[in-house]
Amino acid sequence: MPDTTGTSIPVCPLAALAPGQMRLVEHEGRKIGVFNCAGTLYAIEDRCSHDDGPLAEGEFDAEACTVECPRHGSLFDLTTGRPKTLPAYAPVQTFPIAVEDDTIVLEVE
Amino acid sequence: MTVATPEVVAEKRELAGINADYKEKFGFHDPETGYAYKAPKGLSREVVESISEYKDEPRWMRDFRLKALEHFEARPTPTWGGNLGQIDFDDIHYFVRASETNSRDWSEVPEDIKNTFDRLGIPEAERKFLSGVGAQYESEVVYHQVNEKLEAQGVIFTDMDTALREHEDLLRQYWATIIPANDNKLAALNSAVWSGGSFVYVPAGVKVEMPLQAYFRINTENMGQFERTLIIAEEGSEVHYIEGCTAPVYSSDSLHSAVVEIVAKPSARVRYTTVQNWSQNVYNLVTKRAVVHEKATMEWVDCNLGSKLTMKYPSIYLLGPEAHGEILSIAFAGAGQHQDAGGKIIHAAPRTSSSIFSKSISKDGGRATYRGLLEVANGATEARSKVVCDALLLDENSRSDTYPTIRIDENDADVGHEATVSKIGDEQLFYLQSRGLSEEEASKMIVNGFIEPVTKELPMEYAVELNRLIELQMEGSIG
Repeated sequence: MPDTTGTSIPVCPLAALAPGQMRLVEHEGRKIGVFNCAGTLYAIEDRCSHDDGPLAEGEFDAEACTVECPRHGSLFDLTTGRPKTLPAYAPVQTFPIAVEDDTIVLEVE
Repeated sequence: MTVATPEVVAEKRELAGINADYKEKFGFHDPETGYAYKAPKGLSREVVESISEYKDEPRWMRDFRLKALEHFEARPTPTWGGNLGQIDFDDIHYFVRASETNSRDWSEVPEDIKNTFDRLGIPEAERKFLSGVGAQYESEVVYHQVNEKLEAQGVIFTDMDTALREHEDLLRQYWATIIPANDNKLAALNSAVWSGGSFVYVPAGVKVEMPLQAYFRINTENMGQFERTLIIAEEGSEVHYIEGCTAPVYSSDSLHSAVVEIVAKPSARVRYTTVQNWSQNVYNLVTKRAVVHEKATMEWVDCNLGSKLTMKYPSIYLLGPEAHGEILSIAFAGAGQHQDAGGKIIHAAPRTSSSIFSKSISKDGGRATYRGLLEVANGATEARSKVVCDALLLDENSRSDTYPTIRIDENDADVGHEATVSKIGDEQLFYLQSRGLSEEEASKMIVNGFIEPVTKELPMEYAVELNRLIELQMEGSIG
């Protein structure tokens, strides 16, 4: 579950992440992918729950709001972090995200 | 166990007359006169596009194939398991259409093909004890029939190409969700050039009493067969699907790479039985996976007798509470064969249960490998599982390997694992010979007893067939 009492991390100006784009953020050794799905922002951990593949490097479908793990093809719903296809069956962590003063801000625990 | 009664002796004499060896019974091939289409050897974007165009597929399927081709090309050939280094992917026909028609009437099937399936006993089997039959010859299904009563209940049993045309929305909902195109190199290959296979849909509460069967036959030399099967068992439904396969004996290699996806909804029950008897020039590289929801049951009964190299590990994902999975695997590796088989079960929900029983027999320098995974995920509390791998070596030159992987992330899992490797003992042979059996009969009896836990799970006709096949494989193994 997202932790709403954590640290705020500025990601980038909102204008720098257009719809259909992804940006990778690193915080204390942990990588998080921030995705712009047709104007709505989502953030998930950059680690496939199947075998730790680099999820954010996979194909991002902004229309369906999904990302496909490049390692074995599991498709993740960016809105929930849940896999829509095997071989992954467990969700990946999602993070709250907001826009403050035209800057994208990520909340991590 | 078989006893040498006069009936059994008579049956054996009869069998010796019918099934002299694989080459005569299954290893024949038909002339390729009248073939509708045979793609040139090799794999390319053009070949994939032409398959899709030839089948007049929707755009999304063409795009799926082309993306899969990119995955296939980007991935290295696996270096674990068997030796895949000798497969020449450029020396294979990826699509061969023998007939323009897919018929529901045997009389409409082209003569050569009909004769082939007659020789293999398929129409007779349908009449006797099946609810439906599909027969695939080369890349496409040439005959498909399902019991009318089942059709009236909403059961769909058709070939995959027809399903894409007639049930596109239903098919697309599940397509490649169990095995994505990028799951592994061979699944990517199948996704790029798939053709044929079965589509089975069983509505909620419908119990298909008699099995559905598909029979796969390769005829052409240097052929690749890439069928794709999808079974959806809705809530509370039951179905048993059986597949068999054979091919002619050629000196050059052929490739069979299937993808099988199964969805067992809550309280459904699915059994999938394979009697694999490819000729010994076929690489058999198959991905099979099932998802099992709450209180549902999935059973794989996987018998591998033929092929040059088989790499196949049917998988079960227990995703709902109290789901149950079973894998019964039998592998017979003779001269020049490597059976790399096993299974995977993933417990991903509470109170799930499973078992894997693997039996392998190696003879004449053959190699049988058990490769399995049992995983109990975090949150899968009160999981229970048992893994048993038994290997029987019939001579000094043969080989057996066991690679069991067990991962447990819960404290209260109840998991057992047993493994044995044994040889046919001189004392066992001596004892049976002292009862009047020849050495060969005694060996067959020991082998039949060894595999009996698997054969007893098969419908009687298949158990008899499996025993016959094993007896054939055993011919000449003694003395």
